[in-house]
Amino acid sequence: MRILLAAILVAGIAGCATTQITKVESGERVVGERLEIKVDGAWNLINTPLLAPAQAWTMEGLPIDQLLIYSGVKDGEAIRPQAGGAAPTSVNFRSSMQPDEIVAMFEAALTRDGSTFKLAKLEPSSFAGAKGLRFEYAVVRKFDNVQLSGVGFAAVRDGELFAMVYSAPRLGFFPRHQQRVEDIARTAKLRAKTGS
Amino acid sequence: MASLALAQDPWHAPARFTRPDATSDEGGLWAMMDREEAKLRKSPFNLRAPGLQAYIHGIACRLAGEHCPDVRVYLMRVPFFNANMAPNGMMQVWSGLMLRVDNEAQIAAVLGHEIGHYLERHSVERLRAVKSTTAVGQFLGLFGVAGLVGQFGLVAGVSAYTRDNERDADRIGALLMRDAGYDVAEAARVWSNLSLEAKARTEGIGQPNPLFASHPPSEERESALAELGASYKGGEAREKEWQQKTAPFVRDWLADEIKRGRPEESLAFLTRAAKRSAGAADYVYARGEVHRMRAGEGDIDAALKDFQGAAALGGEPPETHRAMGMIYRGRKQAPEARTSFERYLQLAPQAPDALMIRSYIEELAT
Repeated sequence: MRILLAAILVAGIAGCATTQITKVESGERVVGERLEIKVDGAWNLINTPLLAPAQAWTMEGLPIDQLLIYSGVKDGEAIRPQAGGAAPTSVNFRSSMQPDEIVAMFEAALTRDGSTFKLAKLEPSSFAGAKGLRFEYAVVRKFDNVQLSGVGFAAVRDGELFAMVYSAPRLGFFPRHQQRVEDIARTAKLRAKTGS
Repeated sequence: MASLALAQDPWHAPARFTRPDATSDEGGLWAMMDREEAKLRKSPFNLRAPGLQAYIHGIACRLAGEHCPDVRVYLMRVPFFNANMAPNGMMQVWSGLMLRVDNEAQIAAVLGHEIGHYLERHSVERLRAVKSTTAVGQFLGLFGVAGLVGQFGLVAGVSAYTRDNERDADRIGALLMRDAGYDVAEAARVWSNLSLEAKARTEGIGQPNPLFASHPPSEERESALAELGASYKGGEAREKEWQQKTAPFVRDWLADEIKRGRPEESLAFLTRAAKRSAGAADYVYARGEVHRMRAGEGDIDAALKDFQGAAALGGEPPETHRAMGMIYRGRKQAPEARTSFERYLQLAPQAPDALMIRSYIEELAT
């Protein structure tokens, strides 16, 4: 993660063509092909292949807070590819995953750098119009020992994963933005599949 | 020289070290380690377990002899096999190592090895030998400078010392074990146990463990240590003491092991550890959970067998029943799933996923 964040920041500073920061204005937005959300307040979109297939948003700037939005992750696809190409199976989505396995997959992605993860709550919840899950967690980030809080939402629809995962420092930043993230999650809905 | 019988080995520990001149290269290294130690004290990865810390510090002191006042031990919750000792006397012992050793003599073997590096001042020797920035970075990473407890995926696997340094440290570690009254033969067992995991990884995913890249070949090291052990009979393993002192932490360390993301190594370790006299149900459950999370061919059947085995042993973690419930639910065996989930909530009513599990129970009732 440290390397990843450093790469993002350096690439951003250097104006690298593959990493762009753009403003996400209030209003209805579509992430990927199918996930529609309504945004109240401006976010920054970090457009980088390093966090693919997630779209990464931030309020305060990376690495302070990050909202990862997944739209239509397919069976077998990794939610966090490794720099070298191959991803460990622990971050590969399977359409047969049960809620605890989905959480474990996000945990594996969030702790790949040695950060620690502790699940605080896992409950049933609808997301994007489907039966899904909501989870809360705490992370101690490895590279700077900062304690983060996080909240995630996920649902599997038509064998694809739709999810939002937000992490920010426990003191100050997370409480400041949590409601905003919860509100976005509540507005999430899916467009019909093209051709269906 | 590793085969030199312990009784004939002329090595003697040097006198206690004094703080080097701050303007020297060694003084600079000490200052850097002092700064890292200050971070280590405050680190959220620091176990802060005074009883266990005092116990392991006591083992280090038995080994270090007159250097004991200079040794400071930090127990870190990092699920990889590693310990290191910086030239200023700061020693880190990671939970992945503590989970893996079977007895006090085995932890003494690892600590003795690190104290051997310290007494021979190998780190100063290496600092002077390495020239490139990358090599310096790797070298400092050994002690955690690359990011507190290090980029541990790398540090756990890469030694900054030469193979000769490692052989010397093994030999000195064995001498210190002997003098402290430990069974020296246990040192070779540490290495053979670790070799099992490395072999499983290589066979499973075709990638060797980087641990063996810069260390002497495992067979050579294991046989040299076995030879040293054979040259000195006697000493204690102190298995019961070790198991008792670490028992309160094993469940947390196993939870970390399950999530470590190296299932082949974990399965090899857990199969070995399940034969331990204490806490067998915990290891069997953990092995099942590694299978369940990997979810490859045959894994779910193996997982279910382990969960049932853990429950039969008794004293199993509550999560055993949740995991069984998940498998039954996935297989649409509603009555079995419901019974398992109810048992889980009975054992862990305040579990963070209690709401989700209750929703399953309701769903299974319909």
